[in-house]
Amino acid sequence: MFSTFFSYIIQGTAITIAVTLVALPFGLMLGLAMALIHTYGGNILNRIAAAFSLLLRGVPPIVLLFILYFMLSSKSFNLSPFWAGSFSLGIVSSAYQMEILRGALLAVGNGQMTAARAVGMSRVQAVQHIILPQALRLAIPPWSNEVSIVLKDSSLVYALGVPEILRRAQQLSATTQQPFLAYGTAALIYFVLVFATNRALDYLSERTKLPTHS
Amino acid sequence: MNIKRIVVLLSLIVAASLVLSACGGGATAANHLEAVKQAGVIKVGTSADYPPFESVDASGNKVGFDIDLMAEIAKRLGVKLEWVDMPFDSLIAAVQEGKLDASISAFNYDADRDEKIDFSDAYYTSEDAFTVADGFTGEIVNPEDVADLKVCVQTGTTQDSWLTDNLVATGKLPEENLFRYDRVDQAMLDLKNGRVDVMMSDYVPAKALADQLGGLRIVYQGVLSSGPMNIVIPNGDAELQQAINEIIKQLQDEGFIDNLAVKYFAE
Repeated sequence: MFSTFFSYIIQGTAITIAVTLVALPFGLMLGLAMALIHTYGGNILNRIAAAFSLLLRGVPPIVLLFILYFMLSSKSFNLSPFWAGSFSLGIVSSAYQMEILRGALLAVGNGQMTAARAVGMSRVQAVQHIILPQALRLAIPPWSNEVSIVLKDSSLVYALGVPEILRRAQQLSATTQQPFLAYGTAALIYFVLVFATNRALDYLSERTKLPTHS
Repeated sequence: MNIKRIVVLLSLIVAASLVLSACGGGATAANHLEAVKQAGVIKVGTSADYPPFESVDASGNKVGFDIDLMAEIAKRLGVKLEWVDMPFDSLIAAVQEGKLDASISAFNYDADRDEKIDFSDAYYTSEDAFTVADGFTGEIVNPEDVADLKVCVQTGTTQDSWLTDNLVATGKLPEENLFRYDRVDQAMLDLKNGRVDVMMSDYVPAKALADQLGGLRIVYQGVLSSGPMNIVIPNGDAELQQAINEIIKQLQDEGFIDNLAVKYFAE
C-alpha cells in the first residue's frame, strides 16, 4: 500500500519539474531583458525596470499567483492552472533573476566596455561579445540559488489545483491520516531535486570558469 | 541594431508566448450547456481531501459519494467528465471566473455563496457535528456552549460562517479562540492532539475520521449551518442548472443516490 502511495507522490515530481522548466527560462528571458534595460537602457527605461523589480519583489509569490489566475483572467483569456501558475512563478522569479544578472553585468568592469569601444565595437557588440559572456559565468553561483527557490516555490501552484508534489501529499495525508509520512515523502523528493540541480550547476560553473577568474 | 531594439524584440517574444499559450477555446455556442455539449466534456472541480465525499485511493483515483454521483450525471448529460482538483476555498472563485463548468465538493447552500454562483437542487442533506477528544470533560448541550472553548473549523465552510456570524460577531467567542484550518483532517489531528477543544464540521466526514483516528467522539449532531448539499454552477447558468436538476431528480427517484449513501456512509 505504501509503495503505491509513494508512486502517487512521485508522479507529482514530473509536474513540479515541468512547472520549474517553464518558470525558470521564462523568468531568465524576462529577467535578462530587464537587467539589460536597467543597465544600458537610459534614463526612462532604467526607471521602468527598477520599478518592475521593486514591485515584484515586494509581493509574495502566492499573492501574485492568485491575482494572475483569478483576477486578470477572463473567459476569452483562459489560462490553464498549469500555465497560469508557471508563468506567474516565472514573472516573480524574473525580478530576482534580473537583480542577479544586473549584479553580474556591473561586476564586469567598466574598462571592458571602454576597451571594446576602443577597438571599434559598437555598444551592442561589446555587450554581446565581451560583457555578457563574462557576466553569465559570474551569475551561475547566485543563479543556482534562485533555481532552488523556484523549484521549492513551485509547490505554490497547488493552490490553483495543479497536482504537483505538495497537493498529492495533502490528499494522501487526508486519506491515510499519516501526515508525517505524506509530507516527509514530499520533503525528501524536494530535497533530492534541489540537491541534484545545485550539484549540476556547481559543475557547470566549474567547467565554464575563465582562466582569468580564479 | 541597438540595445533598445533588442529589448523591444525580447519583450515582443515574451508577450507573444503569453498570448499563444492563452489561445484555445472560443466556441460560439448559444449557452454554456450547449458549449459543454459541443466540447463533449464537462470540467468539474472538487477538493479531493474530504472522505467519504471525495478523496483519492491508493492508486490515485478519485473516489467517494460526490465522485460517483458526478460521474453518473456527466454520463446522463452525454459528456465526458474531467476532474480538476483544487483546495476547497479556491473552488467557488474558479467557477465564478469560468475556470470550471461546475463544482461538487459537499457544498451546502449559503446565501453569501449564492450571490456569486448558482446552486443545483439538493442531492443530499447533511448535518453538523461537534467532535471532541475522548478526554474532554465539559458538556455541550446547546451549540452556543462551545463559545467558552477553543473551537476549530475548516476555512470557507458553512460551519466557519455559522461560528463567525453567531458566536464571533456577537462577541460570545473571542476571535483568537476560533482556529481555522485548510482541511478538516488537519483540524481533527489538532483536536486529537489537544491543541483545541472542539471541532465543528459536517457530520458524515466527522464520523468517518473519528472512526479512523480513534480517541474522538461526536457530542452533538444536528442541522445548524449545513443542510441540503448542492452542485455549484456558474451564476445565471439556467440551462445547465435545469439539466443537472432533472438528472438529480431522476437519480433520486431511481434510488441511485440512496444506494450511494449506503455504500459510502453505511446508512
